[in-house]
Amino acid sequence: MVSVAFINPFSEEGRQIVRELGDLNSVYEENGDLIDLVIHSRSQDISDDESIPHNLIDLAIKRLEWYIKKKNNPDFDYKKYSYLYNPKITRFDVIAFYLLSQAISVKFGPNSRESRAMAESQGKLMESRLGELSLRDRKHLLSTILGSLLIGDVKWTTLGDLLSSRKIRLPDLVMSHGNLILDEEEFAESFQDKLENRDSHKMYELLIGDHIKELILNKMIMQKTENYITDVYKKSQRKVEPNPILLDLADRISEVLNEPIISYGYRGTEKKMEASPFDTEAFPPCVKMVLDGIKSGGRNDAIILFLTPFLSYARLYPDVFRRNITLKVSDVDPQLEAVEKEILPLIYEAAERCTPPLFEDQPQEKVNINAKMGFGMHSEIELKHEGETTWYTPMGCEKVKLHLPSLCKPDEICKKIGNPLSYYIRRLNDIKYSKNSKTD
Amino acid sequence: MEEKERFLQPASPEERRRYYREEWNVKDIPDFISNSIIQREFGFDHMGRGPNDRYRVFRSMDLLRKFLRYRAPFAAYSSVAFYKKPRRRDGWIKSELVFDVDAKDIPIRECGCAGVCEICLNQAREIVCSLMDTLKGDMGLKDMHVIYSGRGYHLRVFDEEVMELDSDVRGQIVQYIIGAEVPKNEYAQDGMTYKLEHFTIPFGYPKVFTQRTKYAILHLKDHIQIDDINKKLLKDAIKNQDILREDKWGIFKGKIGPQRYQRLIKSIASLNMGLVDAKVSIDLKRILRLPSSLHSMVSMKCMEVKDIGKFDPFQDAVPKFVFERKSK
Ligand code: SF4
Ligand SMILES: [Zn+2]
Repeated sequence: MVSVAFINPFSEEGRQIVRELGDLNSVYEENGDLIDLVIHSRSQDISDDESIPHNLIDLAIKRLEWYIKKKNNPDFDYKKYSYLYNPKITRFDVIAFYLLSQAISVKFGPNSRESRAMAESQGKLMESRLGELSLRDRKHLLSTILGSLLIGDVKWTTLGDLLSSRKIRLPDLVMSHGNLILDEEEFAESFQDKLENRDSHKMYELLIGDHIKELILNKMIMQKTENYITDVYKKSQRKVEPNPILLDLADRISEVLNEPIISYGYRGTEKKMEASPFDTEAFPPCVKMVLDGIKSGGRNDAIILFLTPFLSYARLYPDVFRRNITLKVSDVDPQLEAVEKEILPLIYEAAERCTPPLFEDQPQEKVNINAKMGFGMHSEIELKHEGETTWYTPMGCEKVKLHLPSLCKPDEICKKIGNPLSYYIRRLNDIKYSKNSKTD
Repeated sequence: MEEKERFLQPASPEERRRYYREEWNVKDIPDFISNSIIQREFGFDHMGRGPNDRYRVFRSMDLLRKFLRYRAPFAAYSSVAFYKKPRRRDGWIKSELVFDVDAKDIPIRECGCAGVCEICLNQAREIVCSLMDTLKGDMGLKDMHVIYSGRGYHLRVFDEEVMELDSDVRGQIVQYIIGAEVPKNEYAQDGMTYKLEHFTIPFGYPKVFTQRTKYAILHLKDHIQIDDINKKLLKDAIKNQDILREDKWGIFKGKIGPQRYQRLIKSIASLNMGLVDAKVSIDLKRILRLPSSLHSMVSMKCMEVKDIGKFDPFQDAVPKFVFERKSK
């Protein structure tokens, strides 16, 4: 039987494995059992010693590398990572999982891009692993793990976290009187009279079936990973010195996450997007609308929550959603020149054009603009305060439509994107392309 | 006509004072407010220029009573949030889940009136009923109160399990119950894809969407303009309304044509966004009109509705002073 910890490191079996580890220093020791297992995994490529993890830290790095390469490298060679699909890896894999999560907690904290990459990699790995198992093992694991995570009648509200982080969408769930319908008997019982002469089994399989259960399981474990990172982070705040092994690992994690940009560039036609001066032509309709000034309600949200993150990322870090690393404003704009000469003036102008002008009755809102760029709650932007707040990433279209519906006047390009920032990048590339083809 | 002119006119300061002195009773404030009065923030609009007297707290119902009697405000509000320190809007504990259905913002209005009238207020009432059905049948919510707001309805939900939800989840609840997106119509299993239209699925979100879409299509009138729907499509949809009345969706779709049908339901999905004011639902610190208080713009009572099936605002929510007004 495949261990549940192969899929769920938070299971009792998983925790037991961690308890048995003993000395943390052993993670650097050459691990004969691990190597043996790796080279005997089905279809594992052993031609290159580089692709074989020699100790638990290696394994941790490989585990993340698998995710990044798979995502970014069109020529991804999964034979180099076959051992990750081998259920026997579980007792090492669980340790690797905890090492990564802890290193990310102490160095980058929750809500960082690193933490998101960790949760996503866990989700993807689970998905691939379940996919490789026999149908019998797969069903068995699914029902055991889900059964231990969701006990008895499950209210849809128990998935509040997953809904809030948009890992799951409400329309994908089937509910009846507050209960989440997951099992076929429950399904038949709840909807029998409505289904009339329709094939209840088929309906169940199509609308719920294993795929919804797998989705929920997958997202729950991703959420647990994020929550775990948050917990460790909170605890580590009280300690004086994080373990150097973890800090060292954290540095290597950064390297792995940075690698795709260095070695592969971007997928397909997507090109790397450097920070470059604004091209207001390329702004999406919603941004143009705010720049013209908000004439009715919602000034504050439009300027602070919507415009400020958009402009700062569009100018300084347009690639934020395609890269896995967290940056600070000063990483891109060390003298804060672009901030002061290009970004703030545009924001202030837009605020001025509101009726009534935003800073006229609410001058304190300038502080909030600084805060959204990561400079804390201060009236002046100063490097020494950077990091006191986080640099807010731009709102997606869905959020705009919900919070600031009057801003969204979609055009043709909007149909192809999900975030005003992607709109901007797309248009920028189009404009560049048409200019180049003219001059050629 | 003369009759009507007395209604829906703003109340004078004198009328406001009369209302709070002679007609209003502190007992008309629902228990859900009085039981939690010390945890709520109150806000008032004294001059009719918006609720800028905020951050008010009352230690007892009697103090609130005295305040309203004495000040006879243009409008009175209380927070949907419960706070440890309501005076500073600090120490948030939880918030009611609220849905605001305003008659004048209903996306497909039969009446086409400029403000609100009996017809669109009745539509608002019907919409609230269907939202309640979904909240109960799908989401299992039970502790719901309906308030007539003066120009529509507030649906206020007190079930503990939703009061702590953040605004993102609340936003999704709104989108679910109003049918704001077209459900997918392809479902995969074992490498095969099956086509299932929303109206063939009698449960879950597709069912909600089917109900809202039916309501919208049955209320279409030829004077209504809708983005992406041209005159011809509108006319054909109206022509075939009777087919939908009997839930013969397949036939309806056939008459409209599959591509035009997609266009039609897509437009309706985006119109559905207007069924409730999502901004109100996602704002955890919102203040809402206080039940029992006077909506001075339209001279109507904001009041709890006990039996929404029978409620008629022009009977039940008109203060006495309106009947005593002289027609001009
Ligand atoms: S679809 Fe997105 S980018 Fe386009 S206007 Fe709406 S919010 Fe802006
Ligand atoms: Zn009307």
